[in-house]
Amino acid sequence: MQPVDAIDQIFTAIQRIKSNAPAFCTNFFPVPQKLQNWVEHGELFYEHRAEAAFFFRKDHDFWRAYFCAANAETLKRELIALPDAKSKPLVMDIIEREAALDSMLPNLESAGFRLYARLRRLARLNPPDSKVPAIGELQPDYASANDAGSILSLLDTSFDRYAEQLPAAYEVEAAINNRQILVMKHLQKIAALLFFETQGVASAIRYWVVAEEFRSLRYGSALMRAYLAANAAVRRFNLWVRADNQSAILRYQHYGYDTDGLVDHVLVNEMIRK
Amino acid sequence: MKTVAEILKEIRPEFDFAASTDFIADGMLDSFDVVTLVAALDKNFGISIQGVDIVPENFKNHETIEVLLRKNGVTR
Repeated sequence: MQPVDAIDQIFTAIQRIKSNAPAFCTNFFPVPQKLQNWVEHGELFYEHRAEAAFFFRKDHDFWRAYFCAANAETLKRELIALPDAKSKPLVMDIIEREAALDSMLPNLESAGFRLYARLRRLARLNPPDSKVPAIGELQPDYASANDAGSILSLLDTSFDRYAEQLPAAYEVEAAINNRQILVMKHLQKIAALLFFETQGVASAIRYWVVAEEFRSLRYGSALMRAYLAANAAVRRFNLWVRADNQSAILRYQHYGYDTDGLVDHVLVNEMIRK
Repeated sequence: MKTVAEILKEIRPEFDFAASTDFIADGMLDSFDVVTLVAALDKNFGISIQGVDIVPENFKNHETIEVLLRKNGVTR
């Protein structure tokens, strides 16, 4: 495993595998800005194999693994032969259409990975003539720099670090600067937050959470209404939610979200125990 | 054979791609959509778009996608 020093190394590695590989498969959907952040923070590493390229990103006390392989069978073979797959705790996300006929899951399970969680993508379409939900009496604020530590703490205690891609401190700081985190405070303490990313006519909620001691105070509703109102020009809202979190799914459905057919299978290797 | 516009419509039917000059900046295509689009273009036109070309600049709009297709030998 070697550190990635420049983004070009990634694209060169992908090209080496992709050329003349009609059944090329990958779980790596890199966004240049995110890649740049990972490289600058020394989080990204790679491993070249004969018929596959692997990328590893440090996340808490484990690694997120990404691959590019000539085909699914090659991926299985290279994963079985990969020393890091046996010595390091790895988490791998496989995004597919629901019930995909060419699912990569069987090959990954044969290579020693097991399903840890499943997430569904929900989408809410917002045609130009649609109504924005009314804002209630509770008014959220955008988070300030002083809130970063409390936000990280609330996220760490509310979400699963393997399944839900928790942000690093620098990501939270950047999101605060970009006014992408709405908060509800109760006696100066952060009681609830909604962390989102808006890009043009699309917006994604990364996290929406109310701390346990402040539930039933309608803080979550206030955040969602403020978010939708602040993003009235957005035409498509997205988010990922754990498929087994029925109460969260029902809440999102209440605001017009519905499944769009994409699922994220979160797989872990044997170094990660339940 | 489908047109680029038809492929884009299949991937994101809710957006009016004709009204945009930058699909990425306008949020019409995310990173997963770009990879889906690459796979669809590869299959539809019988090409293999290179890894180094899978960058947002090449998927900004119809013109940049057409340039990418021409670079891969697609002539129409």
